[in-house]
Amino acid sequence: MDEIAAAIGIDPVELRHRNFLHVGDTNATEQLMREPVILDQLLDRALKESDYHARRAQFARENPASAVKRGMGIAAFYHGSGFTGSGEVYLNSLAGIDVTRAGKVRVLVSNTEFGQGTNTILTQIAAEALGIGYADVAMAAPDTDVVPNSGPTVASRTSMVIGRIIERACSQLLALLREHAGLGATFTPDEFFAACERYRAVRGEVVSLCRYEAPPGIFWDDQRYHGEAYGAYAWAVYVAQIAVDTVTYSAEVENFWAVQEVGRVIHPVLAAGQIEGGIAQGVGFALYEKVVWQDGRMANNQMTNYIMPTAEDVPPIHVVFEEIPFQFGGFGAKGLGELPHDGPAPAILNAIRDATGVAFNSIPLLPEDLYAGFAAAQPAEETVVR
Amino acid sequence: MSTNAGATSNKRWPTIRFNVNGEARRVKVPPMKRLLDVLREDLHLTGTKEGCGEGECGSCSVRLNGELVNSCLIPVMQAEGADIQTVEGLALDGKLHPLQEAFLCHGGAQCGICTPGMLMAAAQLLELNQHPAMPEIREALAGNLCRCTGFIRIFESVAAAVDAQSAGPATKLTTEQTHDAR
Repeated sequence: MDEIAAAIGIDPVELRHRNFLHVGDTNATEQLMREPVILDQLLDRALKESDYHARRAQFARENPASAVKRGMGIAAFYHGSGFTGSGEVYLNSLAGIDVTRAGKVRVLVSNTEFGQGTNTILTQIAAEALGIGYADVAMAAPDTDVVPNSGPTVASRTSMVIGRIIERACSQLLALLREHAGLGATFTPDEFFAACERYRAVRGEVVSLCRYEAPPGIFWDDQRYHGEAYGAYAWAVYVAQIAVDTVTYSAEVENFWAVQEVGRVIHPVLAAGQIEGGIAQGVGFALYEKVVWQDGRMANNQMTNYIMPTAEDVPPIHVVFEEIPFQFGGFGAKGLGELPHDGPAPAILNAIRDATGVAFNSIPLLPEDLYAGFAAAQPAEETVVR
Repeated sequence: MSTNAGATSNKRWPTIRFNVNGEARRVKVPPMKRLLDVLREDLHLTGTKEGCGEGECGSCSVRLNGELVNSCLIPVMQAEGADIQTVEGLALDGKLHPLQEAFLCHGGAQCGICTPGMLMAAAQLLELNQHPAMPEIREALAGNLCRCTGFIRIFESVAAAVDAQSAGPATKLTTEQTHDAR
């Protein structure tokens, strides 16, 4: 994007504003944007949060007299939530809840907690949808002898797709309890569990499962790879501030701003942790993590020579969420797990270009890669790297 | 260690004595067995995790005679007579250590593999410096890799534990054990 902007003499910010998708536009698969698209707003917020224009002006003043060149780079991007195309339809996920005799609601999903917060979020969703306490809900172990097949734990799908199924299964259970067990319009948790026991006495196990339902109007052509590629997209604008040391050829991310719209944020602490973690991986992707292949094997398969970001390498990361609840996601959620991996590398490369005038189109950029790039670029007089 | 396997050679293994979390322990194991494996396999203290197994990631960090060490790089014979503290030694009488409390509240843990090592590195920092600034927190944790969190929430957790400590002497961030009263 910044190469195009430079070639036609337009400011990178202006180029993006002119070309952003909006509601009513179609994307590369000719999917009509029906849900809100607020890229302009995200970009403006990211520029404001990062003080982008003032910092760029400052670096333009300071860089000529400094061996350390600083620059600012932008990446604007989106990431589809859930499986692509017909994926979620083929998965046909089944998920739900049951109620144990010990008076606990159990969430029945095959989606597995590995630190991303799935257990917390699905528990929150079930408790909220049923109108009972968080402590009244537990997660069943994701053992296929116990839980139905709600698909794999991938594709930024759990909060949006599975969360929505759990929400529906909870509403379905409340309707059953009202119809068959005299549950009132309002109730306490004790009254809820008493109704569950009356239901069990008459109708057997207290269980409510639902299948995935695609948002209406979704059509995907598997043959032509055309149509509604995703039910929803998460949108983001990231800004990186970079310092390139022209003596050592090392690049350091000094500051990072991440503004995104991911639907409703179900748990702000966990969501920010996902974004920050993804950005740290993105920093590694852009600057450190070079896989060296030798005879079909990774030659540097040790942490001594495959370098990932440490506590000293991650920049301060400023995370901002704009929230637009997505009506077909669990309590308005869209996916956010993969989103933060997309933006850091382009933002960092654009910032390196801004700092040095040299454009790179490959990653990662270790010092030797930066050296080779600068040597090959033979930059114009005003962007000479000293 | 195959030459040491079996009951016969077992008799030739030395008895190694040390204190773990304030309790006197003895093990009869191959002397080159890694402290990490002795803690996990022989003493069943599985809080300490193996990450890389080559001293790069800090996941297996424990405190040994007041120093933070990678337990994957310590042959157990080197621990003879030592005072060792593992993550199991942080909580006292079922009450979480202020660092653990802070990690819980501030999202300091995701998958959890690095967490015991991070806690021990942070405990070591606070033992040496009760009021670390952010650059000191970053430096102290730089030997402990985390792939999930991006470190930010870990820094915030440590900073929050420091603040909790400043708020009242009741939550003094000591890692000294009271178990040895037993």
